[in-house]
Amino acid sequence: MPIEPVLTKRIPLDPAQRKTYWYDDYIATGGYASLRKAIDTPPDELIKIVTDSGLRGRGGAGFSTGQKWSFIPKEKKGAHYLAVNADESEPGTFKDRYLLDYDPHQLLEGIAIACIATQVDVAYIFIRGEYHRQAKVLERAIHEAYEKGVFGQNGVYGSKYKVECHLHRGAGAYICGEETGLLEALEGKRGWPRNKPPFPAIAGAFARPTVINNVETLCCVPHILERGPAWFKTMGTPSSPGPKLFGMSGHVNKPGVYEDSLGITLDYAINTLAGGMKGGKFKACICGGISMGVLGTNQLDVKLDFDDVRFKGGCLGLGTAGMIVMNEHTDMVLALRNCVRFYSHESCGQCTPCREGSAWMRKILDRIVDGRGRAKDLEMLLELEKTMGIMPGTTICGLADGTAWSTRTFINKFYDEFAARCPDEPTKSVSLKVTRGRMNVVTPMGSNTR
Amino acid sequence: MAWIAENRQRSVPTDGTPALTESLKAHLRETYFPRYPTRRAVLLPALHAVQHEYGWIPPQALDELAAFLEVSSGEVLDTASFYEEYWLKPKGQFLFQVCRSFACEMMSMCEPGRSCGTRELSNHLQKKLGIEVGQTSDDGRYTLVELECLGACGTAPVMLVNDVLYENVGTETIDQILANLPADPHDFHDPTVTWQEKAH
Ligand SMILES: Cc1cc2nc3c(=O)[nH]c(=O)nc-3n(C[C@H](O)[C@H](O)[C@H](O)COP(=O)(O)O)c2cc1C
Ligand code: SF4
Ligand code: FES
Repeated sequence: MPIEPVLTKRIPLDPAQRKTYWYDDYIATGGYASLRKAIDTPPDELIKIVTDSGLRGRGGAGFSTGQKWSFIPKEKKGAHYLAVNADESEPGTFKDRYLLDYDPHQLLEGIAIACIATQVDVAYIFIRGEYHRQAKVLERAIHEAYEKGVFGQNGVYGSKYKVECHLHRGAGAYICGEETGLLEALEGKRGWPRNKPPFPAIAGAFARPTVINNVETLCCVPHILERGPAWFKTMGTPSSPGPKLFGMSGHVNKPGVYEDSLGITLDYAINTLAGGMKGGKFKACICGGISMGVLGTNQLDVKLDFDDVRFKGGCLGLGTAGMIVMNEHTDMVLALRNCVRFYSHESCGQCTPCREGSAWMRKILDRIVDGRGRAKDLEMLLELEKTMGIMPGTTICGLADGTAWSTRTFINKFYDEFAARCPDEPTKSVSLKVTRGRMNVVTPMGSNTR
Repeated sequence: MAWIAENRQRSVPTDGTPALTESLKAHLRETYFPRYPTRRAVLLPALHAVQHEYGWIPPQALDELAAFLEVSSGEVLDTASFYEEYWLKPKGQFLFQVCRSFACEMMSMCEPGRSCGTRELSNHLQKKLGIEVGQTSDDGRYTLVELECLGACGTAPVMLVNDVLYENVGTETIDQILANLPADPHDFHDPTVTWQEKAH
């Protein structure tokens, strides 16, 4: 099943051979040809091509990129913005770093095309504050792109489209990865996610129509334009076409970023791509950043695409396809405590269920880790977990769903291990169904249909 | 925790010299004002610039930034106190930030007794530097922090020393880094950044 590298065609597998492709190297390897093509294609046609390719967002939510672009008003009454999400802070995710480090112009080309398609005037690349080297690479690449006429007021390669592109550094807050939290941080405020509607496509950055896309999503765009939607669909599955970067980390022999088509099995990802298990037998795997939950010991056959992980794997979704593999020595209680500690630390504090819920869950888990687990603790964790998130409709953003799903999947799939640490078995049976909730609301984290 | 409001009230020591120097102001005005439609949006880059200059963000700079960007000082403090990367109290010349998130912490359990993860790194650093997590050494040279995922899980465990990322860190790596730290933190650079930095 291995595919010819697309996103990583300039990034060899061997770390010793990798180098950063600057403008001239990029041009020499066929770069910016798609952008020249885009200049001569009507914007509507560009959106149609991307929609036809079936490209789904690589930032976690898996929303159709073409559709997202089509929400931007066609009739322009003022500035439009593009916010590029390079905040990458989800534990287990390190694919965007890789694209930024070695092939920055691939992203810039994707940005320029997206700007033409949605009539955007200014693109902001929101990069997390800890990405120091990547910010420096981008600064230089953007500088080159201005000099060579990609960006600036002379128009993209002298055409009528004028696009500006700036780097905006974050300052250490996971929540700025959430799209509206990102917009607040862009406007110089604290990164508190906004209530939706209004959606960013109507009133986003500076209250103007705004597109928000992940780095990897935009990196796919030049390739789709170059080789067509039909080619894109030859990879992956019908509902999740295209190539994908899989970030393999944890207890494997060859951790790293691997490109393959969507829909490979977890078994293939671990044993063929990442060189097999290290230190012991397979136990569990975080399936796409910790927010998505965990795949259990008997789920090696789950297909890694946007649907199978969700419906067969029982997780929230594929997320960012950042896999953290765990072997038999891993303590699941400690693992869950780590996740919940992360969320209680990174909660922005706006919504009570998220702020208080995660703090209490963390205290309970601290107690269990300390060996003072009580019979009621597991029940309490599962009850708390059910009260928080966009899905039950109690919070503004999806961070709380991450808390809920990691807790739910860990306890559900490794129940015996947790129960052994909480001496008396809970007396009541534990139901994992979400009982209350708004009906059929489509949220950035998926639709609330169960 | 971003949402816990600390009592940050302290007197603003000023000897009359501005923290926001003319050259800093000129830099912000020329580089960042044209980039954004509002003044307030310049706040994040401005705070980064101040921190780059002083190693932290003095209270006086917050007030001067408010005046310079024509927003209230409350708004400036509101933003500055939300983000963990902004230091509103002095930190050491070398900031050690060890990742404590999932991949890095779980590395300890890969081959029990032999592998190295967050706990081993953090304990070793605490012993070597003679400080606990969150503290700064008395001579003002080192600060030790544990923080969340650094986006380099494939090479866990990792840590940042100022701007430089170290991957696949072991206790020996730490000893080596400590032995080779320059006297002046300005001489400490990422060896993989081989080009001259310039902005458009
Ligand atoms: C709590 C939270 C954190 C997120 N962090 C990131 C992130 O670091 N990077 C990212 O690209 N998307 C992140 N997202 C997803 C974004 O909200 C958004 O869906 C995405 O950037 C859209 O781009 P895409 O359509 O290209 O995937 C996060 C979402 C939530 C709820
Ligand atoms: S769910 Fe949590 S992180 Fe998201 S807005 Fe509410 S409090 Fe903030
Ligand atoms: S968990 Fe340590 S870098 Fe991601």
